[in-house]
Amino acid sequence: MRVRFDIKRYDPEKDEAPYFQNYEVELGETDRVLDGLNEIRWRQDGTLTFRRSCEHGICGSDAMRINGRNRLACKTLIREVGRRVRIEPLLGFPVVRDLVVDQQRFFQDYRSVLPFLVNDDPPPPRERLQSPEARRRFDDTTKCILCAACTTACPSAWGNDSFLGPAAIVQAHRFIFDTRDHATVERLARLAGRCGVWACRTAYNCTMACPREIQVTRAIAEVKRAALLGGP
Amino acid sequence: MLERTSFREGLRYRGGSSMWAWMLHRITGLGVLLFLSIHILETFTLSFGPDFYNNTMELYNTIFFRVAEIGLLFAVLYHAINGIRITIQDFWPALWRYERALVWAGFVILIFVFIPLAVWGLLPVFRGEL
Amino acid sequence: MASYPPAPPTGRFEMYSWLFMRVSGIVLLVMAVFHLLLMHYGIGVEQLNYQVVATRWGSPWWRLYDFFLLLLALTHGMNGARILMDEYLRAGGWRLVLKIVLSLLYLLLLVMGAWVIVTF
Repeated sequence: MRVRFDIKRYDPEKDEAPYFQNYEVELGETDRVLDGLNEIRWRQDGTLTFRRSCEHGICGSDAMRINGRNRLACKTLIREVGRRVRIEPLLGFPVVRDLVVDQQRFFQDYRSVLPFLVNDDPPPPRERLQSPEARRRFDDTTKCILCAACTTACPSAWGNDSFLGPAAIVQAHRFIFDTRDHATVERLARLAGRCGVWACRTAYNCTMACPREIQVTRAIAEVKRAALLGGP
Repeated sequence: MLERTSFREGLRYRGGSSMWAWMLHRITGLGVLLFLSIHILETFTLSFGPDFYNNTMELYNTIFFRVAEIGLLFAVLYHAINGIRITIQDFWPALWRYERALVWAGFVILIFVFIPLAVWGLLPVFRGEL
Repeated sequence: MASYPPAPPTGRFEMYSWLFMRVSGIVLLVMAVFHLLLMHYGIGVEQLNYQVVATRWGSPWWRLYDFFLLLLALTHGMNGARILMDEYLRAGGWRLVLKIVLSLLYLLLLVMGAWVIVTF
């Protein structure tokens, strides 16, 4: 079927303001939005710029606003979005070109929650063991692929420019609730300040946007509770 | 720490029921704060003696204020019910699954409390007493 | 560690603010809704006059009730307004000025309300 793509385009070096450009592509209903974008770039307009890498929902490169909601283009089927698809870059980032945005701030926030295992105990002969129950505690937040769909869907992050955002909190959750990690106090102190979890107003946009179906709002609420009680 | 997004772009985002509930929470909160400020000023006129206060209170007995009172009633009830919902969801994270249902349950409770009180409050207007 | 950004500002003010909004919200749900229903439906705004207030405030318990209602509601509301300013105004001079104005307004309204409750 013919699918019409309305794509927001912007080249800061040439254009004064962003504008929408329309393309028509022949696609099946089980094709993905990304297939349409590739079709446009390969056969109709080589200047259309977007990121994609693995094309299978693992690398997190092709998060964008599809029909007004953050999704991965490689995980969204045409039959979910219909014959008219409106595509815009993620909110809250400077546009480098078309759908490519500068995510530097996002990764800075990610790094500021210490997203790595901190454990100064001498390593055991084989590995640091953990019971299946203890592992299950943070299983959900290990699924994050850092696509930024949640953070750029968050109304608090749109307004509050000191908020670290849902993705950074999800990454912190993954280590705060890991029994092998020893930096819980430091991480909670970073998240209990004015840049941290208290800017969350429980609007659930993050949970709805997550392409990995992580229960983001739930993870944030668990970090809030840990910050209030002083530990996980 | 994203760049600030304009209201217009934010409003164009297709969020879920909780996002609209959040937005209405802010608007009703501001509305109630505005009324509260007026209410404190009006109560302060008690210090100027009975005549001054009674004259001030006469202002409330107009159609404009009677209708505004219904708006206040809605704002207070909505802000209270939605606030309780948010608190419940903050303290019991496992309820995330019922997010939509809870928003709608709040609305149903609001409508059941608000409509009868609104009709009751507007009776003098319907009867043409104001 | 060297390549990691320094810790974002810590401190617990926002946590206590968050907790206060929830605790005071629950108390206000009872106190403010009761006050609103009593004044608008129990007594009726058209009946309210100097004499009615005088009778009501004859009891120190009502004065205490109204004072706590004033304190909680105004603090809850003004804190909410502060949060909105933090979220929707750019950090810098203007926001600071408006936040100072807001604080002064808070203190002024609190003193005016308390004054009339105590001295009436």
